[in-house]
Amino acid sequence: MSVRELNVIVAGVGGQGILFTTNVIARAALKLGLNFAQSEVHGLSQRYGSIRTELRIGSDVSSPLILEGTLDLLIALEPLEGLRQAPYISERTTVVMNNHVIPPVGAYLERFPIPSFDEILELMRRLNPKQIMVLNAYDIAKKAGDYIVANTVMLGAAQATGVLPFPEGVLREALEEVSPSRYRDLNLRAFDLGRESVSPPR
Amino acid sequence: MGDLLAPANTLEVLLGNEAVARGALEAGLNVAAAYPGTPSTEIGEALAKVAKRVGIYFEWSANEKVATEVAMGAAWSGLKALTMMKHVGFNVASDAIFTLAYAGVTGAMVIVSADDPHAHSSQNEQDNRHYSESVGLPMLEPSNPQEAKDLTKEAFELSSKYKIPVMVRTTTRISHQRGPVRLGEITAGFSKGKFVPPEPDRYLQVGAIARKHHAELLGKLKEISLDVAPSYAKVEGASDAEFGVITSGVAYAHAKEALKLVNVNAKILKLGMTFPLPEKDIGEFLSSVNTVLIVEELDPYLEMRVKAIAKDYAPEVEVLGKLTGHMPRVGEYTMRTVLEGLSKALGVVLPVNFAEIDRRSSEILKKVPPRPPVLCPACPHRSTGYALRRAAGRAAFMGDIGCYALLFQKPFRVEHVTHAMGSSIGLANGIDVATDQDVVALIGDSTFFHAGIPALINAVHNKRKMTVVIMDNRITAMTGHQPHPGTEVNAVGDEAPAIDIEKIVRSIGVDYVKVVDPYDHAATEKAIRDALKHDGVSVVITKRECALLTVARLRRQGQKIVPYRVNPDKCTYCRVCINTFACPAFVDTGSLVEIDPTVCFGCGACVPVCPYGAFEPQEGSLNWREQKIGV
Ligand SMILES: Cc1ncc(C[n+]2csc(CCOP(=O)(O)OP(=O)(O)O)c2C)c(N)n1
Ligand code: SF4
Ligand code: SF4
Repeated sequence: MSVRELNVIVAGVGGQGILFTTNVIARAALKLGLNFAQSEVHGLSQRYGSIRTELRIGSDVSSPLILEGTLDLLIALEPLEGLRQAPYISERTTVVMNNHVIPPVGAYLERFPIPSFDEILELMRRLNPKQIMVLNAYDIAKKAGDYIVANTVMLGAAQATGVLPFPEGVLREALEEVSPSRYRDLNLRAFDLGRESVSPPR
Repeated sequence: MGDLLAPANTLEVLLGNEAVARGALEAGLNVAAAYPGTPSTEIGEALAKVAKRVGIYFEWSANEKVATEVAMGAAWSGLKALTMMKHVGFNVASDAIFTLAYAGVTGAMVIVSADDPHAHSSQNEQDNRHYSESVGLPMLEPSNPQEAKDLTKEAFELSSKYKIPVMVRTTTRISHQRGPVRLGEITAGFSKGKFVPPEPDRYLQVGAIARKHHAELLGKLKEISLDVAPSYAKVEGASDAEFGVITSGVAYAHAKEALKLVNVNAKILKLGMTFPLPEKDIGEFLSSVNTVLIVEELDPYLEMRVKAIAKDYAPEVEVLGKLTGHMPRVGEYTMRTVLEGLSKALGVVLPVNFAEIDRRSSEILKKVPPRPPVLCPACPHRSTGYALRRAAGRAAFMGDIGCYALLFQKPFRVEHVTHAMGSSIGLANGIDVATDQDVVALIGDSTFFHAGIPALINAVHNKRKMTVVIMDNRITAMTGHQPHPGTEVNAVGDEAPAIDIEKIVRSIGVDYVKVVDPYDHAATEKAIRDALKHDGVSVVITKRECALLTVARLRRQGQKIVPYRVNPDKCTYCRVCINTFACPAFVDTGSLVEIDPTVCFGCGACVPVCPYGAFEPQEGSLNWREQKIGV
């Protein structure tokens, strides 16, 4: 398999499992022998700060940081954080977005208006991404057993977009490998439900 | 996340920091000691996890200087030792390290400095390449996780050979970069060494002895610059190119890809050893081009040295970089930084219209509320901040470094200062000398052990009047939860004697000492009010474990985390909770406050904050204060 350059951002707030989500994709790339570079910043807060990871897959890649305007896949676990990636989003970007807004509590103190999900979606459209998929990852995760696996739901949905250059099953296997045993079944259920929420089950 | 002990010759996904740890294990590491600090921490975490299985010794030390001395002791006993620290940690350790360069080692020693261009998680953008030159220790700089492993291993080999410590410098984008790493054989393990100074005066640095050792060190560095540095100088690209780039570290990765994006005939000189420099190789590279762009983050370290070399080898060559305004000095680099530098230097047409991207995205970003870092839901520091605001709102607040530093923000604003570790108490001494104000120092438990104790002793001895609030959350939280001398377990999970902060404080002679559960807002407030009235040094210890530890334990025990709710019939939308307590689980709907069930940890700390009693448990919710969970 050959991939020259595929750029992914996973964005959300601390505690949503952004690193884990990205690690699964990186593990899939490793299984296929693809070159990649993944970058993360740990920031100052352990939870509910703005968090993003960047993953670049392909033979042309050496920098761990994505160039503005060249994002292929955005997985937004939190929609405001998705929107914050605006400089990277372009016509080549597929957006998979959770619709649950987590307002930054500091914004209330500054009286900064917090856009509704519909407003966020409208702003996202203005950036002309190739496609936008919206899902209610927390509801789907609850169906799988616990809202803490909303990240895996999003991963399943991302797989269903077909943007990731992995043959059927590889990402799911990577998830199985990377999951702590306690959460393995829960994660796989969430992944499958996420994938089905975008494409009908087969 | 990656398997640090995966077999040789396999490819494994490793974080740059894990790769450093693996490199040390492949080099035959015996002893490692460190104090945590982003972006270096995962090196120690990785080693702590495997220490028992591999048979090495690992400790989280009280601070970076002690960690360095632990490693030194091992390296002076013939063992292979490692210490690692964030860039500012090097300042703390530097007193020991400067003289260590003269002393050298009998085994081997590697010192990792993890710098943080952009100050992503730090108080400054200090560039520790200067240290390697002024201390006189060779420095290797990896440009990706594979090199992080390989160069760490080679650093040990160099140290063994030349009998001086060797530095490895990473930056955030190397430390926290994950990539495929081809592994080698692990040879680490523990064996006892023996402390025998190779010569009677080897470790006695004074006067004439120090001068002798200084001269010896300079001799070794000269040898390394001639025999070793050239093997780390790699030229790539078009050999006939008249334009060159000199670079190292992650800047190389950005430069390499950026050059592919523009149509320029160029060659790159990549330096893997940034001290001592391979003068002749740089000179020859310079003689082969007309113009050279230096691509390096932070200070013009290479640029100034390249300029000096150019004088001898190629006086005609144009050296461009920060000093000429082509590259920025502040913040980290990306491909964009390099592309813009290339455009300034050569007038090339860029593949991306940055102006258009900036215009379009700034329109959008104007509408996206900023999300500054916050304390976690249920964080005990929030409760301490709440009580401090009410009890001591007019005091001068000397803050310190740790999660509680976030209390500088609204609605608490009980930190006027965050400076360097331990500075809170030291500064409170000075402010009390200089003013008549009430002074409060806020310090975390790990920071207290690291550098707070001498300043507290100073305060008592010099009869200061000040209040010190020690926020004892039973862990080093901000860097990801490492044990410290006050915890009941050590780095490798063994039981350890926990040093009691209250006893230390009392033994120093502080006569007002109160220990409170910060969730008990009324008691905490009273303790602080009384402390401020006390004539002398007073100490309030707010003791409750970090909420993430509590949540993790509850989950491990199979307890369900059931969120609290706001009773809509009781909420008057007065917003007192948001304006004074600001838990990130609070949602303002415009007519009511609600709790986001995906965010709330169900601690109950907000209950006393609402004047109308609107915060209520749900079926199965716990009350951490009443049930004594986490204290
Ligand atoms: C000299 C130095 N070493 C390490 C660090 C990294 N660092 C920042 S905060 C912190 C831990 C603080 O722990 P503690 O005082 O217990 O506060 P907590 O985060 O637990 O609230 C560390 C180690 C630093 N900033 N400076
Ligand atoms: S990690 Fe612990 S100490 Fe730090 S903000 Fe979260 S709860 Fe508070
Ligand atoms: S119970 Fe209250 S203070 Fe505790 S996490 Fe939930 S909303 Fe925040």
